Amino acid sequence: MAIQASEKGPTSSFGERLASFWRSASVPIMAILLAALIGAIILLLSGANPIDAYAALFKGSFSNARAIGRTLEKATPLILGGLAVAFAFKGGLFNIGGQGQLLIGAIVSAAIGFGLGGLPFIIHMPLALIGGAIAGALYASIAGALKAYTGAHEVITTIMLNFVAINITDFLANGPWKDEGIVARTPAILETAAIPKLDNIPLGFFIAVAVAIIIWYLLFRTTLGFEIRTVGLNPNAAKYSGILVARLTVLTMAISGFLAGLGGSIETLGVVGRFQPGFNVGLGFDGITIALLARTHPLAVIPAAILIGAMQAGSSQMQFDAKVSFEIIDVIQALILFFVSAEMIVRWILRIRADGDGGVRLSSGWGQG
Amino acid sequence: MRKAMFVFFALIVLATISGVAMAQDCASADVLCVGLVTDVGEIDDKSFNQSAWEGVQMAANELGAQVEYIETQDAKDYLTNIALFADNGYDIIVTVGFALGEATLEAAAQYPEIKFIGVDQFQGAAVENVAGLIFPEDKSGFLAGALAGMLTQTGTIAAVLGTDLVPPVVAFKEGYEAGARYVNYDVELISTYHPGGLDVAFTDPEWGASTARQAIDLGADVVFGAGGKTGNGALIEVAGTEGLYCIGVDSDQWETVPEAHPCLVSSAMKLITPGVFDTIQSIVDGTFAGGNVVGAVGLAPFHDFDGSVPQDIKDRLEQIRVLLETDAISTGYNPGG
Repeated sequence: MAIQASEKGPTSSFGERLASFWRSASVPIMAILLAALIGAIILLLSGANPIDAYAALFKGSFSNARAIGRTLEKATPLILGGLAVAFAFKGGLFNIGGQGQLLIGAIVSAAIGFGLGGLPFIIHMPLALIGGAIAGALYASIAGALKAYTGAHEVITTIMLNFVAINITDFLANGPWKDEGIVARTPAILETAAIPKLDNIPLGFFIAVAVAIIIWYLLFRTTLGFEIRTVGLNPNAAKYSGILVARLTVLTMAISGFLAGLGGSIETLGVVGRFQPGFNVGLGFDGITIALLARTHPLAVIPAAILIGAMQAGSSQMQFDAKVSFEIIDVIQALILFFVSAEMIVRWILRIRADGDGGVRLSSGWGQG
Repeated sequence: MRKAMFVFFALIVLATISGVAMAQDCASADVLCVGLVTDVGEIDDKSFNQSAWEGVQMAANELGAQVEYIETQDAKDYLTNIALFADNGYDIIVTVGFALGEATLEAAAQYPEIKFIGVDQFQGAAVENVAGLIFPEDKSGFLAGALAGMLTQTGTIAAVLGTDLVPPVVAFKEGYEAGARYVNYDVELISTYHPGGLDVAFTDPEWGASTARQAIDLGADVVFGAGGKTGNGALIEVAGTEGLYCIGVDSDQWETVPEAHPCLVSSAMKLITPGVFDTIQSIVDGTFAGGNVVGAVGLAPFHDFDGSVPQDIKDRLEQIRVLLETDAISTGYNPGG
C-alpha cells in the first residue's frame, strides 16, 4: 500500500504527496524525538543538565563553519555506508560486510594515492577514488558469488569477510605498504590524490550526495533497478519472468560493495590522508543504522546520515560543556534504532497523539490504491 | 499518556532551571588550567588514560590547577578535542597515546603559547612547546623477562600480547624475551600477538585466556600478559591453575585485576602518573624544555609473593635494574632497525 502510494508521487497533488511523505517519515521522526526524550531523562538521572547537553551538541555540530564542516565530514562515509546497506536490501540481500568493503576501499585508494606519482590531480584523485570503490565492489562480489552459486548466506559470509579484511589491511599497513618509522600505517597520499576542502566544507560530501541521487535514479527509474527490486521482493517470481537471478545477485552485492568502498576512498583521500589501522572503525556498521533509519530509501539516507554525523561531531563539545560522557550518544543512537525497528510502539504512541487524523490517513491510503 | 509525557517534560525543565553552571576562567593568567585528551577509550581504563589522568589530578591537588578531560571516541577527532581546550584558554594539554602524536604536533604549531605533554609520543625533532613523555618499555619487559626466566621450573615461559601494530607492545615483548635469555639462556619462549586489528586486539580477554591456556598446555609456567583486557584475560586464566606465575603490565595490576592474585607475582610498570605530574611541575617551575622526557619504569611490588620469591632472585633483579638504568646492558630492542 505505502509503496504504491509513494510511487504515484509525481502525478498526485501536493497535499497527497505531503501526506505520503508524512506516512513514511513519521515513524523515524517520532523515533528520533522519543530517543531524545529518553536520552534527556537518562542525562537528568546521571546528574547532567539535558538542555545544556543538547545545546552543546548543537553548538559542536552546526554553530559555525568549522562545526558544519565536521558534521558533513562525519556524514559522508555514513551516507555511502547507508546506501550500501539500503541498496543491497532493495535486492533482497543483507550486506553486513560494509565495514570490510570500506577498509579494502580505504587501503587501495591509499596505495594508489601514495604509490602513483607524476599524475596530475585531474587524473590521480579520480583514479584513487574509483580504484578504492572498485576494490570494494570486487571484495563484496565474493559474498555475492558465494550466495548466487553455492547458496551460502550473505549475512554469514560478509561478517566473516569483515575479519578477513581487517587482517589483510593490518598486514599491508604493517608489512609491504608500511610507512618509514615504527608506526603501522601507509605513507601519506600525494597532494595530487587528495580531495580538497573548500574552506571548511569537505567536497567528499557532495560526491556522496551525488551518488545517492544516482542510486535513487538507478533503483527507481531504470530497468536494472526494476529487476533488482523484483528479485528483492520475490526471487522465484523474478526467475520465472526471465530475470537472471544469480547474475543479478552478484551485481547487487558488487554495487553495494562499490558504495562502501567509495566511502573508504573518501575517508582516505579527504579526511585521514593515508591508511592507518584503527581510523575507520565502525563506519561500515553505522551504515546499517543509517539504512534502517532511512527505511532503505536512497535519498532519505542523506538526512539520516547528517543527523547521526552531527551527533558524532558534537559529542566532544557536549563532553566539554556539559560534562557528559560520549556514551550517551551511543545510547541515543541505539534508542533511535530500537524505535525505528519496533515500529509498533511508535505507531501506538502516534495513534494516541493524533487521534482525529487517523481516519483521514486511512481513507487517503485506501483511496489511492 | 499525554499527561505522563507532559509531566516528564515539566520535570526536565524544572531540573534544568535548578541546575547551576560552574564558571571557570581559564583565559585569565592567574588560573592554571590543565586539559587531558584520551586516546580512543575511557578515562577509567585501568591503564594509560587513567594513569595519566591521575597525574593531572595530582596537579589539581598540589598545584591548584583547574583540570578537565575529554574522552576521544573517534581517532579522527584528536585535533578537534585538543582544539576545544586550546580555544578555551587552557595552559597545558596532555594527550595520551602514541596515536595522538601527529595531532599534538599540529596543535602545538597552531597554539605556540600552550604547552603540550604527549604521553608515549617519541619526539624525532624537539619542538619548543611539546614534551614527549616516553618510557623504555623494553627495559620494563627485560626485568619481567628476567624474573620469569629465574622463576620457571619447566624451562618454558610465555607472553600473551596485544597487537604488534603498537610499538610499545613490541618493545615489551622484545625486552621480555631478551631479559629471559639474559638470565636463562636455554629458556623456551612462547610469545603470541593477538591476530586481530586495533579495534579488538586490546579488548579480547577470551582470546587472551585461550592463548594462555595453550601456552600452559605446552609447559609454560610463567605467563606475561601485555595487552589491555586481552592480557588481563591471560592473567585470570593462569590464576585458575595452581603453582603457576603470571606477570602484569603498565601499572601495578595487583590493584586493577584482583582475580589474578593467585598467580600475579609482579607487573612490568611504566610510571605514567609521576611522569605526567613531574612534567606539569616543570612547566610551572619554568624548567620545561621541549623534546623527549624519559619516564621511569620498574617492577611492581611482589605483594603476597614477597615471601616466596627467593632473596637471590630479588638481588639479581636489583642488579639488572641498575645495569639497565646505566645502559650497561642492552635489551637489544632497536625500533629504528
